Amino acid sequence: MDATSIDLRRAYHQLERLLDKIAVALETEDLPAARLDLGKAFEALHTAGPGEEGPEVLRYLDHALSYAHRVIGDLLHEKGLPPHSPADFAEWYDAGEVPFREDW
Amino acid sequence: MIPLERYPKEITLRDDAHVVLRPMIPEDAEGLWNFLRQLPEIDKSHFHEDVERREVVEGWAKSLDYEAALPILAIRGNRVVGSVTLYRNKTGWKQRVGIVRILIAPDHRHLGLGTAMIREIRHLGEKVALNYLLAEVIEEQEAAVRALERMGFGKAVVHRNFVNDRKGHLHNLVVLLHPMSGLEKEIFY
Repeated sequence: MDATSIDLRRAYHQLERLLDKIAVALETEDLPAARLDLGKAFEALHTAGPGEEGPEVLRYLDHALSYAHRVIGDLLHEKGLPPHSPADFAEWYDAGEVPFREDW
Repeated sequence: MIPLERYPKEITLRDDAHVVLRPMIPEDAEGLWNFLRQLPEIDKSHFHEDVERREVVEGWAKSLDYEAALPILAIRGNRVVGSVTLYRNKTGWKQRVGIVRILIAPDHRHLGLGTAMIREIRHLGEKVALNYLLAEVIEEQEAAVRALERMGFGKAVVHRNFVNDRKGHLHNLVVLLHPMSGLEKEIFY
C-alpha cells in the first residue's frame, strides 16, 4: 500500500507529538544515550519534513520512529517495567507483518 | 570510579518475571559457575579458560576488579540467568573503548533480557565516558547480533573463518561498535 501525501503529513505530526512527549519524560532522567537517540529521532523527522512526499520521506519517518522506540525502551528499563514490544500492537498495523521483533 | 549506585536494579521481563541486576560479588562464584555450565558451547567459545571447572570461576570471583572488568549479573530468585561484562583498559590507546560480553541463559532468551543487558551496559559506558563500546559475536549468534544492532551497534567488520570453538571448528566473527554520546558531540557538534 502506498502512503498518500495526507498519510505522510499525518504521520509526521503524530510522530512530532510523540517525540515531544518523550522529550518531556526524558527531561528528569539521567540517560545520555536516550537523549542522543531522541536527538537523532528529531533530526530524522525534520529531514522528512512536514509537507514532503516520496519514499525517502517514509524512510526518514521510519528512522524517527525506530529511534523513538529505543528511547521508550530506555525509559521503561529505567522504571523497571516490561519492555515495549511493537509486535504486541500488530493488530493495529495495516502492514502484512510487523517488521521488528524483540528477539533476545 | 565506575558509578554503581543504581544497583541493585530490578527489571521486568516480557513474561512479567522480575530480575535483579547487580555487580558480581565473590559469593556469586557458585551461581555463576552453574550458569556458565548450562550455556551452549558456542556461547563459551570466547573464554580463555575452561569455565566448566569450578576453580576457574572461583578464581575470577576472588580477583574482581570492577575498573578492569565489571560483571553485572541478572538474578532471578537465587539463580543467575544472565551476565554482561564491561572490560576496560585503565591506560593506553584503548582506554576509551569498552569491550562488552553478554551471556543469556537459554531458557531466558526472547524475553527481552538480552536487550535489557545491552541497555544497562550502554548506560554504564556513558557514565564512565567511553567513546565506543565494542562487541564481538560469532555470526551464528544471530539474535544477539540483531539485538545489538537494534540498540545502536553497527557492524564494523566481519572476519571470515576467524575464530575457532573448543572443538576446533572455524566461525565468522562479527565486530560491532557503538559510538557513545560524548564522541558524537565531539565529532559532529
